[in-house]
Amino acid sequence: MGPFTASEPKVMIPVGNRPILEYVVGALVDNGVRDLVFVVGYRRERIQSHFQDGKAFGARILYVTQSKQLGTAHAVAEAKPHLGESFVILTGSNMVDSRFVADLLQNAGKPSVMITESEHPRSYGVVTARGKELISITEKPVEIISNLINTGAYALDSRIFEEIDALAKDGRHDLPSAVSTLAQRTAVQAVRTEGTWIDALYPWDLLRLNAAALKDAPQVRAGTIEPAVTIRGRVAIGEGCVIRSGAYLLGPLAIGPGCEIGPNAVLLPSTSLGKGVRIGALTTVSNSILMDDVILGPSSVVQDSVVGSGVSARAGLLAASGPGDVQIEGEWHPVPQVGALLGEDVEIGNGVSVAPGTVVNERARVESGARLRGTIPAGAVVL
Amino acid sequence: MCGIVGYAGRRSALPILLDGLKRLEYRGYDSAGVAIVGSGLQVFKDKGFIANLEAQLPPLDGPTGFAHTRWATHGPPSKVNAHPHVDCTGKIALAHNGIIENYVSLREKLEARGHKFVSQTDTESLVHLIESYYDGVIEEAVRKALHDVRGSYAILVVHADEPGKVVGARNESPLVVGLGPDENFLASDVPALLRYTDKVLYVMDKEIVVITPKGVTIQDLEGRPVSRESQRITWTLEDAEKGGFEHFMLKEIYETPKAIHETLLGRLANLEVDGFLSKDITSVKLVACGTSYHAALVGKYIIEEIARIPASAELASEYRYSQGPSEQPLVILLSQSGETADTLGAAREARRRGCKTLGIANVVGSSLTREVDKTLYTRAGIEIGVAATKTFIAQLVALYLIALKMGQDRGTLGYDELDRMKDDLRALPRAAQYVLNKADEIRALAKKYGSARDMFYIGRHVNYPVALEGALKMKEISYIHAEAYAAGELKHGPLALVTKETPVVAIAVDDPTYEKMRSNMGEVSARGSPVVAIGTEGNRELPKFVDDVITVPDIPWIFSPVPVSVALQLFAYEVARLRDCAIDRPRNLAKSVTVE
Repeated sequence: MGPFTASEPKVMIPVGNRPILEYVVGALVDNGVRDLVFVVGYRRERIQSHFQDGKAFGARILYVTQSKQLGTAHAVAEAKPHLGESFVILTGSNMVDSRFVADLLQNAGKPSVMITESEHPRSYGVVTARGKELISITEKPVEIISNLINTGAYALDSRIFEEIDALAKDGRHDLPSAVSTLAQRTAVQAVRTEGTWIDALYPWDLLRLNAAALKDAPQVRAGTIEPAVTIRGRVAIGEGCVIRSGAYLLGPLAIGPGCEIGPNAVLLPSTSLGKGVRIGALTTVSNSILMDDVILGPSSVVQDSVVGSGVSARAGLLAASGPGDVQIEGEWHPVPQVGALLGEDVEIGNGVSVAPGTVVNERARVESGARLRGTIPAGAVVL
Repeated sequence: MCGIVGYAGRRSALPILLDGLKRLEYRGYDSAGVAIVGSGLQVFKDKGFIANLEAQLPPLDGPTGFAHTRWATHGPPSKVNAHPHVDCTGKIALAHNGIIENYVSLREKLEARGHKFVSQTDTESLVHLIESYYDGVIEEAVRKALHDVRGSYAILVVHADEPGKVVGARNESPLVVGLGPDENFLASDVPALLRYTDKVLYVMDKEIVVITPKGVTIQDLEGRPVSRESQRITWTLEDAEKGGFEHFMLKEIYETPKAIHETLLGRLANLEVDGFLSKDITSVKLVACGTSYHAALVGKYIIEEIARIPASAELASEYRYSQGPSEQPLVILLSQSGETADTLGAAREARRRGCKTLGIANVVGSSLTREVDKTLYTRAGIEIGVAATKTFIAQLVALYLIALKMGQDRGTLGYDELDRMKDDLRALPRAAQYVLNKADEIRALAKKYGSARDMFYIGRHVNYPVALEGALKMKEISYIHAEAYAAGELKHGPLALVTKETPVVAIAVDDPTYEKMRSNMGEVSARGSPVVAIGTEGNRELPKFVDDVITVPDIPWIFSPVPVSVALQLFAYEVARLRDCAIDRPRNLAKSVTVE
């Protein structure tokens, strides 16, 4: 997530125009869970500014700042003074629905872990269970023993703190280990769910989350819509937007407040525009996330792309989709359909073309006429 | 979702219940009501917000009672469907949060036995059911009644003949008891109680609780007593409202990007500035006090630079008592609260002089908005910290909008230029965020310079008033003596005060006055003063001749006051925090000055 987390914690990355964490809060509140403790660290101010005391979300939120980012068990231990006898633990960066939380709550009272099938078990903790009873969780196994993974969502009670304290003495601070040792002492349920649980491992995964989020996008029309605008499907247009004549909007789309969509611009599914985004005349955007304050000049094409907050591109940006090999932390990942991954505050001149799968890290500056491929480092200047 | 609060004690219950109810308003609010047991049972309810209820409430006196805020599930929001509900005898009152699943069959049975129902709610069946079991002890009737009920509930019940007693019960809806000396409380949620006690105990599913001024007893549905340990709540109401931030001021500084978005919202694309028209304006006078006056001074430079109209700024307390020349400028009056006494007086004076007036205020419907021809709201959201932060930035943004509008109407800005400047305004939330991301660096500088007794701030042109504001922030909250000067004025006196003990904060962004600023910084560092420069990102020479640099993003210089101000606010905040000052309530100061 590097290019998009320079000033934003991962949980605050927007999909369907709401931070991922907001879906988690919504699913909890839907199930009547309103007393929430957020254990925060990196760029916690962004989370606190958005959620405040939780009132606007129907919840009451207390914040605990994790003094050192040691691990998930340590995070839970830091929240201990605010937790009652039993509680549930969720990861703020995994999108879940109310069904998922309902299944989790069904098992409250008995220690349990929510599990799901995954195509990439190697990237997660793999779960071994006997029937419905957890035996152990193995982090990122070399050998694939099962495709059942730990979602990082648990229903627990205060017994877990003994395990956490014991492991901490050995310098281990991860919650799956604590839950595994708890399972040796008492029954821990491994619960499968039909509910939604989506993790974004890589930036292009965000497009999947975005499409899922937009399925339930509300139909809202606010702001000024000039004559001869075509709107089809589920389209949410935020307050203070101006949609210029000739624009063609095909839902599902979420357009945040204060956006300006230029004359004859085309927005195709499933696209989210954050706050204050400006799309120039004759520009086409499809299946993409444009975060807050993005400016796209006229006559541009942006497909299957993730565009970070504050990115500005002058006329004629070409970020068309295609099969691409994306390099993340030195490892290459073939992605069948991908456009550009443009990090926060990237500045792009006129007539720049970006090959599918190109990653431009935050605050890079690209001069007019450049052709980009591969990975551009943060703050770089491309001539 | 509903909220309930109950009280049994020695004080008058009503104000306590209403206050608690307001803390629960987040749980839903389409109607509200209260029941008080004093000399008999008194019930009052209505639809609408709690404030609505409060406005119409007759004086209800009694030391026992409960209140309820409702979010309709069965029956539309209306007075009759609002809680409390009473039984046929008018002696039992009940409020309920949750859903009674078998209310239809209960209702049929009870109606067959002659009970009269008045509402469409599921709740009313429960109060009649309790009535049917009543035999002198209300908690016994409640216990028996709950055996017949399916569903989720948190209920509160009082009986006219049993004063000093509130009965509660819960199943799958929250209920918490607050413990005080000679008084006890019940509520759906802790914030309703926190003002009165931090000692609470939680009622569990299928339990009945009785509170009296003297004590609390809990039993299960079979009538067996239950013992429960109390817990101490370690957070305060104010902590909750600060949303994890140490001070309101810091919280509000971090809300700057949002305040900018809100102030620009819907105004930028077509430059629709709340119907403000700039035709026939030959000059502008900006009038305000305090921080708003500094915004006014920045406004003078902005309007002259962008719209090319002569502009001047004046303190409201001076303007009011000066002789007006014959010209008739547009008078722009700025006040965050819209209640500043001198600014209101100045608005009246401007009208007396026959000038058109435009107010820039943050508080909707404030007095200023009634004294001026037109108002432009800054929409920065409520500001609690006494030191203005996000509202100052929002005032600057409003002034940019006005200048752009004037530039457009008067033709001083071409279409392309205007378009580019609109994009520059769109980039301001990011520019503020850039500085917020540097909070750690700014904290380190605060540590380095925060023990100074005196500080100087210097700047030129549009950033001269930003230096004034930076110094004011430092004075207000850290109590360090801080003075700001137009950098060109140093040689005319202040240089005599500059020593190696007096850090100088210099605003030296890349603008047309940068070269001059460089020589001014040279003047002070030659006299041994440490210099902290606010400079533009990418300026490589600046770090070579000053002690420290706080960078702001490379944006067109006329907009630089926004990120520079955020940097200076954070700097003042961090210094004050290190010095352990009462940041949100500095000594001798008030948020809005309503006296002259």
